[in-house]
Amino acid sequence: MKPADVALNFGTPSGSPRTSSDFEELNYPHHHTATSNSPTGSLGWTAVPRREEELPLPHYMSEDTARRRVPRAPAVDGGETFVAQDEKHPMDYDVYDDGGKDVYAKMKAARGPVGSGRLRRPPAPPPTTVGELIQQNLEHIPPIIYTLLACWTRFHKIGKSGNVIWDEAHFGKFGSHYLKREFYFDVHPPLGKMLVGLAGLLSGYDGSFDFKSGEAYPEHVPYTAMRVIMATFGVAMVPLGWYTAVELGMSWRACHLVALMVLFDVAWLCISRFILLDSMLLFFTFTTVFCLSKFHNQQYHSFSFDWWMWLAMTGISIGCVTSVKWVGLFVTALVGLYTIEDLWDKFGDLKMPVRDQIRHWGARIGCLIVLPILVYMASFKLHFLILNHSGPGDAQMSSLFQANLVGNDFASNPLDVAFGSKVTLKNMGWGGGLLHSHVQTYPVGSNQQQVTCYHYKDENNDWYITPRWGEPEPDAEGPIRFLQDGDVIRLRHAATTRNLHSHPIPAPVTKLNHEVSCYGNLTIGDEHDYWVVEVVDDIKRGKKNNVDKIHSLTTRLRFRHQVLGCYLRAANAILPQWGFKQVEVSCEKENNPGDVHTYWNVESHWNDRLPRGNTKFYRSPFLRDFWHLNVAMMTSNNALIPDPDKEDILASKPLDWPFLRLGLRMCGWGDNQTKYYLLGTPVIWWAGTTSLVVSLLVLAVYLIRMQRRYADMEPREWDHFIYVGKIAFFGWFLHYFPFMIMGRVTYVHHYLPTLYFSVLMFAHLVDHFVLTSKRFSEKTKWIVFGALSFTIFACFWWFRGLAFGMDGPINEHWGLRWRRSWNIYND
Amino acid sequence: MSGVQDVRQRNKGKGINRDASGPSSAVDYDDHNVAYLPSRSYIESFLNTEEASAAVVAILTIIAFFTRFYKINHPDQVVFDEVHFGKFASYYIRREYYFDVHPPLAKLLFGLAGWFVGYDGHFDFENIGDSYTENHVPYVGLRALPAILGSLTVPIVYAIMKECGYSTIIAAFSAIIILFDNAHVAQSRLILLDATLIFFLSLTMYSYVRFKKLRYQEFSPQWWGWLLATGTFMACTWASKVNGILTVVAVGVAVLIDLWDILDYKKGHSMQYFWKHFIARAAGLIALPLVIYLSVFWVHLAILSNTGPGDAFMSPSFQETLRGNELLMKSHEIRYYDTVTIKHKDTQVYLHSHPERYPLKYDDGRISSQGQQVTGYGHEDSNNQWQIIPTKALPETGRGRIVRHEDVIQLLHVNTGTVLMTHDVASPLMATNEEFTTWPKDDHSRYNDTLFHLRLSDAAPGEAWKSKSGHFRLIHVPTKVAMWSHPTQLPDWAFKQQEINGNKNANEKGAVWYVNEIVDSQDPDLKAKLEEVEMKEPKRLNFFKKFGELQLLMLQHNAGLTASHPYASGPINWPFLLSGISFWTQNEGQKQIYLIGNIIGWWASVGGICIYIGILGADLLARRRGLEPIPDDVRNRLWNSTGFFIIVWAVHYFPFYLMSRQLFIHHYLPSHVASALVAGSVLSFVLSETINTPVSAWGPSVKPRPTTYADHGVKAPVMVAVFAIAMFSLYLFISPLTYGTPGYVHSFQSSLRTMLTHLLTVSCRLTGEQVNARRLLSSWTLHFAAKESGNI
Repeated sequence: MKPADVALNFGTPSGSPRTSSDFEELNYPHHHTATSNSPTGSLGWTAVPRREEELPLPHYMSEDTARRRVPRAPAVDGGETFVAQDEKHPMDYDVYDDGGKDVYAKMKAARGPVGSGRLRRPPAPPPTTVGELIQQNLEHIPPIIYTLLACWTRFHKIGKSGNVIWDEAHFGKFGSHYLKREFYFDVHPPLGKMLVGLAGLLSGYDGSFDFKSGEAYPEHVPYTAMRVIMATFGVAMVPLGWYTAVELGMSWRACHLVALMVLFDVAWLCISRFILLDSMLLFFTFTTVFCLSKFHNQQYHSFSFDWWMWLAMTGISIGCVTSVKWVGLFVTALVGLYTIEDLWDKFGDLKMPVRDQIRHWGARIGCLIVLPILVYMASFKLHFLILNHSGPGDAQMSSLFQANLVGNDFASNPLDVAFGSKVTLKNMGWGGGLLHSHVQTYPVGSNQQQVTCYHYKDENNDWYITPRWGEPEPDAEGPIRFLQDGDVIRLRHAATTRNLHSHPIPAPVTKLNHEVSCYGNLTIGDEHDYWVVEVVDDIKRGKKNNVDKIHSLTTRLRFRHQVLGCYLRAANAILPQWGFKQVEVSCEKENNPGDVHTYWNVESHWNDRLPRGNTKFYRSPFLRDFWHLNVAMMTSNNALIPDPDKEDILASKPLDWPFLRLGLRMCGWGDNQTKYYLLGTPVIWWAGTTSLVVSLLVLAVYLIRMQRRYADMEPREWDHFIYVGKIAFFGWFLHYFPFMIMGRVTYVHHYLPTLYFSVLMFAHLVDHFVLTSKRFSEKTKWIVFGALSFTIFACFWWFRGLAFGMDGPINEHWGLRWRRSWNIYND
Repeated sequence: MSGVQDVRQRNKGKGINRDASGPSSAVDYDDHNVAYLPSRSYIESFLNTEEASAAVVAILTIIAFFTRFYKINHPDQVVFDEVHFGKFASYYIRREYYFDVHPPLAKLLFGLAGWFVGYDGHFDFENIGDSYTENHVPYVGLRALPAILGSLTVPIVYAIMKECGYSTIIAAFSAIIILFDNAHVAQSRLILLDATLIFFLSLTMYSYVRFKKLRYQEFSPQWWGWLLATGTFMACTWASKVNGILTVVAVGVAVLIDLWDILDYKKGHSMQYFWKHFIARAAGLIALPLVIYLSVFWVHLAILSNTGPGDAFMSPSFQETLRGNELLMKSHEIRYYDTVTIKHKDTQVYLHSHPERYPLKYDDGRISSQGQQVTGYGHEDSNNQWQIIPTKALPETGRGRIVRHEDVIQLLHVNTGTVLMTHDVASPLMATNEEFTTWPKDDHSRYNDTLFHLRLSDAAPGEAWKSKSGHFRLIHVPTKVAMWSHPTQLPDWAFKQQEINGNKNANEKGAVWYVNEIVDSQDPDLKAKLEEVEMKEPKRLNFFKKFGELQLLMLQHNAGLTASHPYASGPINWPFLLSGISFWTQNEGQKQIYLIGNIIGWWASVGGICIYIGILGADLLARRRGLEPIPDDVRNRLWNSTGFFIIVWAVHYFPFYLMSRQLFIHHYLPSHVASALVAGSVLSFVLSETINTPVSAWGPSVKPRPTTYADHGVKAPVMVAVFAIAMFSLYLFISPLTYGTPGYVHSFQSSLRTMLTHLLTVSCRLTGEQVNARRLLSSWTLHFAAKESGNI
């Protein structure tokens, strides 16, 4: 009964390759059966034939053209692998019966389940013979071949250069830290680097090498194996590209184009072959788009198992990509936009029960917001669990966190702070550092010695707590005077003997605050050196009233300038180059008791006369550390601004990327070195960017023609054109535009995730204009496809040396400088 | 404003039905206006008569003039950016060339105003706080111009609302937001560009609204008139200040939406008809404004024909068009064996050398060549003289001896008899750059290292090297570095002179030098020429070339204004009035001018925008669920009329987020005007179920529509009156900061009487506590505030 209805609905023209058996496999979505209990349900069946009569002619046409879009595996036997159109659930019409008046709405509904993207196929019966198995899986043969080719390109001569290439210096080192379990700090989230560490572990590396830039790898570092593991992510990009194209509903030739471009782009190839994060970033970007397109194709099977699975997979993929680099937030934004649009459509569906609405919203919130956050946080949890030893990144974290690291002696600091103690002071704001001073002076304002906040341990962070001028210096024999709330102190910088000082001169960056400097020496000074200690509270002992003496690590303090009444504050304002990009310290005129950037605690504490403490500290709570580290990463990331005084020949501007104006020398350029040059395959980059411009023009032309009521496409065709176009364009835009307004230094490899979307757009437009066009014959399509594939391959072959490594004097490699701005040759 | 047409279509259909069923009546009821409209209250009908409207606008205008002109002579000192714009007015009067990032119209008007009041342009407006009276500057005349334009903005805002079909009382509401706004008042009373900008912006909006209202009478004379007026005022806005370009964008967006609707097939227009519309707008809104914009620059360049402080920004060929320019007067061709002094373009130091040598070892442990020092020196000195030595055979006399572009030369330091050279030794301060030194001229062992390639900027092959105008780079032949300098001092061993070294990147800005003077020449003619002091006629240069160069420089410098400023603020602060600008302070009497708006007005405006977005958002959501909470015609008014204001607001606001230059709260003032309009229309929506229709003029092809009125009732006048009183009180309260005259508000009770009787009371300073009281938001940074007492 049901299959017959469907068949009638569509009025399948004779000669269709579909057989009726295709329809016998239909599985009906769950919620429709629920609605069939509604009173109109029983009437529905009688309504069907009538509606069928009233359907206007274009309906047939839409099915007809839809068929042309069916992705066809390049099998000999088209009939077997031909994909069934879709499934229908007639209940839509049964519930909604207005006597056939609203033909337009019906057309829309009838069109709906066809959707865009890849059409759903019925599950095949289990194979009985090997032959059948192969028959059924013929469509997987091209991606398998591509994967094998990718293995060759990615692994070929991967260990050729035995030196530390480019950012291997960073990421290799971070991998080592995981193996040694030492805490380090970096601007990128930890997942990618943990995988590097894992790669090291798997290949038997012991973490002892420090990855100095350009240095040769010693015997015991299995760098080739590590690179191979990293490159595996690069290999996986190729089949992912293929299957994404399939899922996006591209014709088989377009799928080949996508796979070829992913396979043959020299920049993707080159960046995947080293111990870098980019191959993982790219891999997870690809999986996110893939899962999204998979999920999209489940849109008419809401709450089915596949639907849930791909939604959850998208969420996990988002979590992974953002845990590798924050650039992953851009692809997250793409998924976000898609979801908003999707939910907006659902919101307008008046026939959908409220319960389903809520389930849809809940599913998205759960899978696309909560799940990624969990993944992201899990990667940090793991990060903290692995790195439980003291290491170079300690000072970025709160004092309590550091105290819990193995190898840190904070816990044995003397507990009670006294006059005469030598201390370091830690700012308790998110991402705060240690109070620091150095001999360099301010070039502006008072020209006195600079005071900054610094994130690394250094003797210049040490301060002595001394009493006011005129009061006796702490007596080595006399009674110990402990520091208490309300005490007035001078802070003497241990290395330069100058005193922490503030005066009514505007601070260099935060101009509305007073400048803080170091002034005088052991004997010279004035009342502007006085600071009043105000206790805020104690993490261990609670409220201020419970705090009698000031304890190191746990007591939260503020320092008020006695004369000016301002508060010592460090709030992530970065000084220019003359201050070594350290954090500005200023004196805030406003008294905001809740401002954590004015909170300080004593971190290291030395005093020979006091007994060494032996406190078991409260563990620093995970969420607090997590947040602290993320703010610190954010701050450091923002501090990576280009130095206007210095020209960085490696850096490039976003405008240089789309048309590949600049490449990047990844290593030393000596004649005896193996040289790698990060440069895309020019035809792929140029074609991709051009296609983006063309897509906008085409969209404008189509919209104007629609406004004038020219029907260029069937609704389904239009939906598909727009859907793929949106994914590609917004994906590109979201990955590209933020770099334009970002202040930080940018490099050409920041464009690599972006490139994927321009590749998709190019394939989509070629697909739209040639490969699925009715205007061109099969022969023309072959010619266009062949020409494009050959160009891509030839161009790759021409430039393959850039990624495989070039030996000998670079100027002897002829013909590589296609644009004059490429600094590939030595002039 | 487009969707009004949709309504029209829909209603037309209904109208026809009704016509078929019975005679059409003048008063008709829309489906959506469920109930009969109550007869309008007496007050409302009265207020909306033409006489009442005229009276309202007259009162508003008079108050506007009073607020803007009150004590306009105070302070008699240079305030804030008067430093710039006052100066520019002087330059126009003196006809001296200056350079500024803003287009010239508003400054030209200041020049005109100055000329009008008989100002001779002698004063230079050097520093904030310089006295006008001591220097005899008729500054009141200059300040009167923005005050007049700022006052006129108030009635224009009223008129925009009125033309958009809002009731008198609503129009007055929007006008009051501008009228009693301290920021607008402060900005209009001083020699600043914003009043002019805002005046032209509101005129542009007004013309565009008038133009839109004539859409059913397309191509009629009035239609053309308002189209061209829109274009003209738009060009004036653009030519007044660089952010006027945003007005062009805003109008552009509105026009595109409009054209998109005309293109709609459902409207039944042919493509021919569309193109007619398109061409009309292209002519009125692209061609005409461009012509006006160019003419303003033409006038600007025509007036500024003498040399002035802006010369140095321009290219040599531009400079030579200015009368009395140094390049024009003193630029001569340089010949071999001439002795010259060479200056660094960026830092204006001379290329200098002296017998002292580089120390063997620097502080950081690097080693030098111990050669003779080559430094940059700021003062004239005989050690700055260099002779140009050829590296090729020369003819005895004649033009063959001229030094040309791409020649290879040596430079001989005259006093020590050594030639300039550089080599692969790190410079004293920068390990990456090469050290410059000299070598005895008779020792040929290092001849190659003394060769330099002379590369003139923008030169044709074989062009002669000229003093002053011939900017050049000196490229070392063997190592390809360029002679480069930067404003960093060498240590004491070089007498704190400036470092000169060889930079590998020859395209750096700091590598440009020029010959300052030809000290001695072998050419007898030149000696004569150097003597002569005749006035040369300026050269001529194509206007478009000059315009292009100037325009490019303006853009570059505008983007380059990134230095931090204590009162600069981010765009996010502006709508909420989180920070102001201290314009001027005077310790005597503790007076200050602090640019800050009227919080009630600003928050009402930003609230209006939020409510608007909320209403439309809720309406969209409801419609998505099949509910129609707002009647179609009211909704269309919201989308189209208010939508236009929102476009103007957004276009004048959001681009600032993308700008990295320093930003101030006065950049928000154009948006604030637009937001006041939004607030008015939102108030109208909130108070009334219906709207005043129709507002557009009938056309021949359109059937008359029933007239409906907004039913504000009595509550609207009451609300607006209360609002006006609140605005006025707060305005008075903050006014000491706006006028810089604490005197008359020393007690609040007497203030009103004082204002009304124009009595100038004895100046009495605002105490610290009073200042604190006026600091309504903690983020305002006022001077002379009392110390906060008590901790925490």
